[in-house]
Amino acid sequence: MADWDPSGSVLAQRRTPVCATTVAAEKDSRNDRIRANEEVLISRILEGKKDLFLDLIRPYQRTVYATLISMLGSKEDAEDVTQDVLLKALARLRQFRRESTFGTWLIQIAINEARMRKRKLRHGIMFSLTKGTDDDRAYVPKDFADWREIPSESLERSEIREALAKALTLLEEHYRLAFILRDVNELSITETAHILGITRGAVKTRLRRARLMLRDILSPGLQQGGQVGLAFKEVRKPWE
Amino acid sequence: MGITCEEVWRHISDYVDDELDPKQRTALEEHFAICRQCAAVLEGTCNVIRLYRDERTLAPPKGFHNRLHERLDQRLRQGSEEGIRLSRRAVLAWALTAAAAVPLGFALFSAKRIIQPRLGHQSPSGSPNSPAVTGLVAVSQDAEDKLFHIPSCPYLHGKPKFLPIEEAIREGYSPCPICIGKHKPEKKG
Repeated sequence: MADWDPSGSVLAQRRTPVCATTVAAEKDSRNDRIRANEEVLISRILEGKKDLFLDLIRPYQRTVYATLISMLGSKEDAEDVTQDVLLKALARLRQFRRESTFGTWLIQIAINEARMRKRKLRHGIMFSLTKGTDDDRAYVPKDFADWREIPSESLERSEIREALAKALTLLEEHYRLAFILRDVNELSITETAHILGITRGAVKTRLRRARLMLRDILSPGLQQGGQVGLAFKEVRKPWE
Repeated sequence: MGITCEEVWRHISDYVDDELDPKQRTALEEHFAICRQCAAVLEGTCNVIRLYRDERTLAPPKGFHNRLHERLDQRLRQGSEEGIRLSRRAVLAWALTAAAAVPLGFALFSAKRIIQPRLGHQSPSGSPNSPAVTGLVAVSQDAEDKLFHIPSCPYLHGKPKFLPIEEAIREGYSPCPICIGKHKPEKKG
């Protein structure tokens, strides 16, 4: 059996929230700066300097695209609708009431556009993306392979990026959307709940299942069974 | 007594989001220290989040930014051209209106200056301040409208016949509402 040294790996390195890339105070401060800068840009755009719109949307191109590709599935549709969303945002900029951040407002437009596009594709059949059973039972992980730290260079490989994109499509839509908003777009749980029109509790439930399901789908221990798994990982099972 | 693995899985996502109270958080950390499987689940979950947060994951395809910028530029150009077109149209419409208004105003002004003295001339007995029509008026010999007009009325069609206003009234003619209008026939006596 491989050596198990709990003091040496996961916990020893973590005294703050495990996945936090920045501490909350730093993030708040950064968000305040971004918001102030956006305010200036928005005012100048509304005064007629429309070419500044490109600067305003630059930080959100990926988040809008990621949201749309997770909802529409097709790269072409996602790109097309992303362009539509950003053009709509420009046309409606005067209607932005600053009740939320500009980024959140964009994501809301993107989700509405994606829903409309899906309705058209389904010939008018209405459905809700946010409805669905929020199963509150504990999700039982299917694999306990120990992942070592994934080198960020691995994302230079297109097959890794493809595997991540494909894994997302295997989730049910309401789990996928909660995950995208919270973990890809880095919105808060409250913002995610607001956009989806659900409670914070429901967001947490969806996030929990989405994260654990993705972990199982991508788990190196399951890759041999036809799963999407990340092939670059060395598998160390705890019982070996 | 520690918590079970199932309880850990139920709270692991909240642990990652730092949404647990200190007591729960400590309980989970104690469990991770003794349960390698749950520690592996935690590690994997964090790896998943790290991977998806990376800017390269779900990034727009190559050329996306250029295509977007081209489309936005195109829209912005269209918008400004539209604005210019609209303002040009507005100026043109305003100019045409003004051009039409000038001769119309001049015509009305001239007509008033021509008609008033003529009426005055036809009615030397009328008061200069009175708008009343006196003297000769014109009726059409062809039209069946039974209206009498001032001789220069553009609504006088057909062959005109001139007669004193009193006679026109006696014959059942009414004043033309266009040319006489306010110029009510002056009643004698």
